[in-house]
Amino acid sequence: MELTLELREESGLQWVLERLTPMSPFGRAAARALRWYAPGEEAALTTELDNVALALELWNAAGPAPAEPEPCCCTPRLNPASLKDIAALLRGVTRCLPLFHDIRGSLDRDPENPFDLVELFEIKHFLVTLEQLIEAYAKLPPFQNLAFVPMNESLDLMDPDGRRLPAFSVSETYHPDLGPLRAEKAALERSIRAAGEEEKASLLDRRHRLTVQEDLLELEVRRDLTRRLMARRAEFLSNMEALGRMDLFLAKARLAKRYSCVRPVLSGDAQITLRGLRHPQVAEELASRGESFTRLDLDLSAGCTVITGANMGGKTVSLRSAVLSLLLCQCGFFVFAESASLPLFHEVSLILADTGPGSGGLSSFGREVHLLDRLLQRTRGQRFFLALDEFARGTNPQEGAALARALVRYLGTLDCAALMTTHYDGVSDVAGAHYQVAGLVREIQGDEGDDPRSRIARRMDYRLQSAPPGAPCPRDALRVCRLLDLEPELMALFQADL
Amino acid sequence: MKKILAPLVGDAPVVTAIGLCKNAGKTTALRRLMAELEDERLGLTSVGRDGEATDLVTGTEKPDLYIKRGDLFATARGMMSLCDATLEAAALTGVMTPLGEVAVFRALSDGYIQLAGPSAAGQLKPLCASFTALGADRVLIDGAAGRKSLAGAGVEGTAILCTGASLDRNMDLVVAETAHVCRLFASRRPASPGLAAALDGCEDRFALFGPGGEPRELPLDENGLPRWNKLPREKCVLWVAGGVTDPLLKTLARRGAPITLAAADATHVLAGRSVLELFLRAGGDLTVRRELSIAAVGANPWSAYGWHFQSEPFEDALRQVLTVPVVNVNEKED
Repeated sequence: MELTLELREESGLQWVLERLTPMSPFGRAAARALRWYAPGEEAALTTELDNVALALELWNAAGPAPAEPEPCCCTPRLNPASLKDIAALLRGVTRCLPLFHDIRGSLDRDPENPFDLVELFEIKHFLVTLEQLIEAYAKLPPFQNLAFVPMNESLDLMDPDGRRLPAFSVSETYHPDLGPLRAEKAALERSIRAAGEEEKASLLDRRHRLTVQEDLLELEVRRDLTRRLMARRAEFLSNMEALGRMDLFLAKARLAKRYSCVRPVLSGDAQITLRGLRHPQVAEELASRGESFTRLDLDLSAGCTVITGANMGGKTVSLRSAVLSLLLCQCGFFVFAESASLPLFHEVSLILADTGPGSGGLSSFGREVHLLDRLLQRTRGQRFFLALDEFARGTNPQEGAALARALVRYLGTLDCAALMTTHYDGVSDVAGAHYQVAGLVREIQGDEGDDPRSRIARRMDYRLQSAPPGAPCPRDALRVCRLLDLEPELMALFQADL
Repeated sequence: MKKILAPLVGDAPVVTAIGLCKNAGKTTALRRLMAELEDERLGLTSVGRDGEATDLVTGTEKPDLYIKRGDLFATARGMMSLCDATLEAAALTGVMTPLGEVAVFRALSDGYIQLAGPSAAGQLKPLCASFTALGADRVLIDGAAGRKSLAGAGVEGTAILCTGASLDRNMDLVVAETAHVCRLFASRRPASPGLAAALDGCEDRFALFGPGGEPRELPLDENGLPRWNKLPREKCVLWVAGGVTDPLLKTLARRGAPITLAAADATHVLAGRSVLELFLRAGGDLTVRRELSIAAVGANPWSAYGWHFQSEPFEDALRQVLTVPVVNVNEKED
C-alpha cells in the first residue's frame, strides 16, 4: 500500500514521522521508504516490533525512565544488573551512527571509473566507523535478523598501516614506484625553496614533469583500489541497509519512549481493540492551550461501526486516531494508546469530508464518492479498513442518509472493518455497532466572557459510549451555536424555526 | 626575505586578505605573507573561488598559490585535479559549492593549489576551528574583492586591505575609497557599557536604545521596517542587524536629528563613501557590536586595465590619510 502524502497529513502520520529522528543517512533513507507489513507478513512485523521493543529497553536502560510507567506487554530480556553497562554499550553504537556519510552515490558507478581522493577518504571513513560500530554492537543483546558483514579486508586495503586515522592519501605502499618518485620530488622541492629566481623556473619545470608522473601512478593505484572495493559492493550495500534498519529501530523506540507509546498486539481476526487511544498531534495542540486530550476506548469488529454525536465532539479526531494507530502498527511502530490489539489490512484508508485544495474539479460530495469507488475497486477481494467522516453530508439530507445507510449495509458484506461518523438518523440502525460521543453534558454557568472553544470544551464529555442501534443523533446544533456566540437575532429565528 | 607583513599581523590567529576591487593585489599579499610565515603550519582557504591562473572576471594573469609541505587547505572537491601537491584528504566540511563539497586537505609535499572555499561568512568560523583541530598554527583567508563584499573579514582576527589602481583611474578617488573602508574598520564598540551589553543581547532586525542602552519603543511598519517619521527626536541608538545600505543612511541623514547607528561589524556597512559622509555631517554617529581591525594596507600601483600610478606618490597619498601602515607587497628587494 502506498502511504500518500494526503493520507499521512490527514491521519497525522506525517506529524509523527517529523518527530522520528534517525541519526544516520541510511536511517533517514529507511524512514523515507517505510515498509508496509501486509496481511501474511505477521512474522516479519513481529520481528520488527520485537526489535523496536528491544531498542526501547535499551533506551530505557540508557536514560532516565519516562515520566509515565512503561506499559510494555513483552517480557524484558535484559538483566537489571547489567542496565548500567547497557547504557555505555548503547552509546558506543549511537555515537557512531551520526558519523556516517552517505556514500551510496559513490558506489553507484562503473568499477572501471576510479574513485577520487575524497571518495576514497569517505570510504575509509565509512569502514573505520563501521568497524567501531560492529565492535560496539557485538556487546549488545542482538536484534533479530540484523547482522553486519565485517569488512576487514577492505579496511586493511584502505588503511595499510593499521592506524585507523580519519585521513586518506595514496601512500607509497600502494605502488613500488611511488616512493622513489616522491623522494626525488621532495629533494627537488627543497632545492626550489633554496633557489634564486633564475634557476627556479627550470627546477619548477622539472618538478612539473614529476607531478605528472606522480599523478599517473596515483591514478593507477586509485583504479586498482576502485576495482577491489567495487568487488565488495554487495557487502557495502548490505551493511548500509542493516545500519539503516538498526537506526530506524532505535528511532522508533526513541519516539515510543518520548510519547509513552505501546506495542500493538497483532490480532488474528478482524477485531480492533484500542484502549486509552489518543491522537498525539491533537493532544499537543490541546496541551498548548492548557487543555487535555480525553483518551478513547474503541472496539471495532468486521463491518461498519458508526459514531454519532454533537458537533465539536471529537468524532473526526476518533477516526484520525484509529487510522493513525493502524498505519503506525503496519509500519512497525508502537502506537499512541494504553493498549492495542490490531489486525493487518491490505489497505487503510481515510476519507475526510473537508476537502483540501486540489480536489481535481470535484465537489466535496463528488470527491468522497470518487475516492470510495476507487478504494472499493482497488481492494476487491482484499481485507481493508476504511474511515469515513460524515459520508454524503454534501448532498441533500434525504438522499445522503439513504446513501450512507446503503454504504453501511454494503460494507457489512465485505471483508473489511469500517468506521463512519454521521449526523444522519437511521444509519446506525444498519451498522454492526454504534458509538455516541457523551456530548454537552456538563452544566456550567458564569464563563460567558471566555473563548468559545474553551466554553464548549468545558461542557463537552468527549468519551465514546456504546449506544444501541437506532439511537437518535443528538440535537446539539442550537447549543453549540449559542456557545459560539452566534448573532442573537439569528439565534432567535433559528430557535423559532425548530 | 624581508618581513613586512608578518610583524604587522602579529599573532592574530586568522588573517584575511580583502581587496577593494579585483586585481588589488590580494593574492600577492597572501603569497608574501605565506612566504614570511614559512615556519608556521598554515590553514588556507578562500571566500568563493580564487587562486586560478587567469582571473575569471578580467582575464588578467593571476599569481598561483604555492604551498609548502605540511600546510592545510580547504577547497571544493572539483578543484582537486587542479592541485599538484601530493594530497591527503583530512576532513569534509559539509559546505556545498557549485564545484562540490569543500574538503580539507593536508599537503604531503610542496605544490600548487587552487582555492574555492565557502562563500558565506558564517561557514568560515567552523572551518577555522577544523583547521586548528587538524594542527594549523594560523589560518589565512583569501577574502572576496570589491567594496560590497568584504565577507571573510568578519571572522575573528585581522585583515590586510589591498587597494590599487584597478579600482579607478583617478588616484585621489582610490585614496578616498581606501580611507573610507579603513574608517569603517576603525569603528569601535560603544563607550557606554550599558549600551554595549544591550547590543550584545540584540537578536531583532532593528531595535532602538537610549544612549545608555535603555530599550526604546521602535514603531515598525507592515514590512518590519522602522517607521522613520516616528523615531524620537532626542539622541538615540538604532541597531541594524543586516546590511547598512545607502538608502537607509540617506533616510537617517535627512531626518535632521542626530542618531547613532549600530551595526554588527564594519563589513555590514555597505553604504558608499559619500552617503556615509552625508550621514556623519548630519550629526550621525556609527558604532559596531564587534570591532574588526586592519593590520596593513597593501598598495598596488599597477592596474589590470592599462593605466598605473606612480608607486611612491600613491603610497605617500595613502599614508597621509591613513593611520594603519601602508606597504608595497610587491617589494622584491631583500
